[in-house]
Amino acid sequence: MERETLEVDVLIVGGGPAGLSAAIRLAQLQQSQAGEPLSIAVLEKAREAGAHSLSGAVLDPSALRDLIPDFEAKGAPLAAPVQRDHVYVLTEKSKFRLPIVPPPLRNHGHFIISLSAFVRWLSTLVEAEGIDFFTGFAGQEVLFDGTRVVGVRTGDRGVGKHAEHKPNYEPGVDIRAKVTIFCDGVRGNLTKQLIRALVLDEGKEPEQYAVGLKELWEIPKDRIAPGTVMHTLGYPLRQDEFGGAFIYALPEGQLALGFVTGLDYADPLFDPHMAFNRLKQHPFVKTLLDGGTLVRYGAKALPEGGWNTVPRSYMDGGLIAGDAASFMNSMRLKGIHLAMRTGMLAAESAFEAIRAGDTSQAGLKRYQAKIDASPVRAELYPVRNVHQAFGYGLFAGMAFAGLSILTGGRWLEDLRSLPGYARMKTLAWYYGLDVPTLKPSNAVAPDRRLTFDKLTNVHYSGTAHEEDQPSHLLVDTEVCSSRCGPEYGHPCTRFCPANVYEILREPGQPPRLQINASNCVHCKTCDIMDPYQVITWVPPEGGGGPQYNGM
Amino acid sequence: MILVLAEQRGGTLNRASWEAVAAAQALAGGMPIRVAVMGESTAAQAGELAKADVAEALAVEHAALAPYTPDAFTMAAQALIAASSPTFVVAAHTYQARDFAPMLAARLRTTLVSDVIGISGTGSEATFTRPMFQGKLVATVRPRPSGPCVITVQIGAFRADAVRMGGSATVTRVAAEIDAAAIRQKPEAPFQEAKQAVDLGQAERIVAVGRGIKSQEHLPLVQKLAAAMDAEVAASRPICDNGWLPMDRQIGSSGQTVAPKLYMALGISGAIQHLVGMKGSRTIVAINKDRDAPIFEVADYGIVGDLFEIVPALITELEKK
Repeated sequence: MERETLEVDVLIVGGGPAGLSAAIRLAQLQQSQAGEPLSIAVLEKAREAGAHSLSGAVLDPSALRDLIPDFEAKGAPLAAPVQRDHVYVLTEKSKFRLPIVPPPLRNHGHFIISLSAFVRWLSTLVEAEGIDFFTGFAGQEVLFDGTRVVGVRTGDRGVGKHAEHKPNYEPGVDIRAKVTIFCDGVRGNLTKQLIRALVLDEGKEPEQYAVGLKELWEIPKDRIAPGTVMHTLGYPLRQDEFGGAFIYALPEGQLALGFVTGLDYADPLFDPHMAFNRLKQHPFVKTLLDGGTLVRYGAKALPEGGWNTVPRSYMDGGLIAGDAASFMNSMRLKGIHLAMRTGMLAAESAFEAIRAGDTSQAGLKRYQAKIDASPVRAELYPVRNVHQAFGYGLFAGMAFAGLSILTGGRWLEDLRSLPGYARMKTLAWYYGLDVPTLKPSNAVAPDRRLTFDKLTNVHYSGTAHEEDQPSHLLVDTEVCSSRCGPEYGHPCTRFCPANVYEILREPGQPPRLQINASNCVHCKTCDIMDPYQVITWVPPEGGGGPQYNGM
Repeated sequence: MILVLAEQRGGTLNRASWEAVAAAQALAGGMPIRVAVMGESTAAQAGELAKADVAEALAVEHAALAPYTPDAFTMAAQALIAASSPTFVVAAHTYQARDFAPMLAARLRTTLVSDVIGISGTGSEATFTRPMFQGKLVATVRPRPSGPCVITVQIGAFRADAVRMGGSATVTRVAAEIDAAAIRQKPEAPFQEAKQAVDLGQAERIVAVGRGIKSQEHLPLVQKLAAAMDAEVAASRPICDNGWLPMDRQIGSSGQTVAPKLYMALGISGAIQHLVGMKGSRTIVAINKDRDAPIFEVADYGIVGDLFEIVPALITELEKK
């Protein structure tokens, strides 16, 4: 088949903080150094910049300051400087405030932001540089020449539900580049292909993930001072479950509220969305939200594993930056600055390699050297075992986190870990002979005021997809019905925060999996957490997905 | 003066044109209203519209208007507007208007207020409400006075039967000013798909079915009820997702938005995604087994019960008449 081909020097896949920082850095290098200007293209699956960007978010401005020193003059949307930090331990009915905020959670000098707004702002800087920024185009497939990455194929458009070509069919475009920088985010579909094809995780610890559910609320303006940052531990999670809540007060009575759950829980009937609902029913949170209105909802996975889980991020013709390569500090609950920093370093590496005429793995290995010499390693290496320690429970994790800070993480052998999905127990193991009904073990009935069912929440994510297209969630339904169902009770119906997976039970027929693909908010939880690893998330037709304005 | 752009296809006036006339009457506040029907030969449709309380009905005719093309319709409308300088140009928010109204507004360098659901005030004091974010927010907008403002009104937002009748409008035939050489589109015969496609926005009565129907074999029951009521069949997403009904029958945020006189929801729980597509219906009747189903929050009449008992009883009663 004839495909259009586009040739560029540098292709950046993913218009989030990492990708856009890379683009800006490339433009800066171009201006400061003579020579033939490079052609640069950025691909983004969302219809517009920032539409798929979701984070808490508290921004450490260190990388921003280095990338765009006059960021304030350029109008960076930094909603509120952090004024105060509180950490609470919740029990079912009450709360205890930690007398001392642990150092990693001190946010003086940081800003509460809407990541979506921040990314949109970065995109205006990229476009002002004249860089081609293709929104609504997802990278579908890595193009290889042997083991060399030579570019990316974008997804086809106009393909119907049964794979037939509709009148508006357009085949995807091959974008070929000397260097491709993959910034496709947490559990990126292309980075996943790269890791498998080139075994980039050889000798690394298995990646660890969490899923964060977030809501944006409007509450009475005088209820909480803008700039207040609160985190919680404990309820509604059990001692062996990793996670906690974040509550960030923005100006004008906007409140960002979220709940992060480690995707390594044991109870197959656990439901992260229900945990979020329980959090909202806790007197502490309920008092904050009462009388307010829900504005937005969203969900996204987080790469929690840290330094020892970062895959080899350089290869022939390719680099990986940001969440895609797991550059996140789970102890500080921050990754935007690391995404920006690694994006910048990837840009510098690509630029130098192209100028030197060597974009092979050897030529791009300078990326690793730059990371090792940068604040990225300085920040991540000492705490490289902290998330893994939480695998031994909340108290072990906290103790380990404290020790890591005191010693700089120098004293122990690295902790080994299993991938999170492998820690899920079967129904029989967890519940013995007394297997309950397949309701979530932490189920609560939504009141439609503070707490909602998943489908209603999805509405507030603004998610929309072309309905007449093939499912973008590829599931081995044989394993699903013969193994995962009987053994784990279809956990996908619970861990998906967007009601994509439903088991229909019709009289006289075996249970049937229905995939409501158009509900998908692109969080990647299913691709990560299903115990048999038989769900593959691929990008839907470009432009589809959530609309995270303000998130 | 307000100019209403009515719509016809193959000599049949689109019912939504009456809704546009109703909106214009609400907006007029004493301003005269002219209604224009564009097409190859539209005197008959203009004659129908002349029965409304309007000042004049225009049959804007040209051979190049026989098939719809955005260029020809924009040119004809632009010439008409240039000749008569209306304060507002009002059309129903049909697929056709969605296609050419933005171009028309851009050519006139004027404001387009699309998908309007309410008008308050009249004339230059008027403000318009329109949905945003898939109906979650409603924005109130007031256009800056800069030439004729183009308004498209959501189907069902204004009542066709609320049009004041009884005017004695003259019907004038006008030759449209079109430079046929400047039409860039060459329409082909409508697709087979498009021929079958139902425009549920036109239906006066809709029987919608949801997951409560349990299996495809039970659909004839719903179709029978719809036939007895002279209604169109529609569905919530799970039904269309399963392929039990075609996707063009889907109501809701990912399907069509409708506002019929009667909307009967059978076995539909009423997820918010469905409600945004039908909550403007005049009368909503819901049948559902679950008394806590959210559909009952918007229903005017609710029956808590088994649709497999109630629907056959309804059909029996309806067929008696």
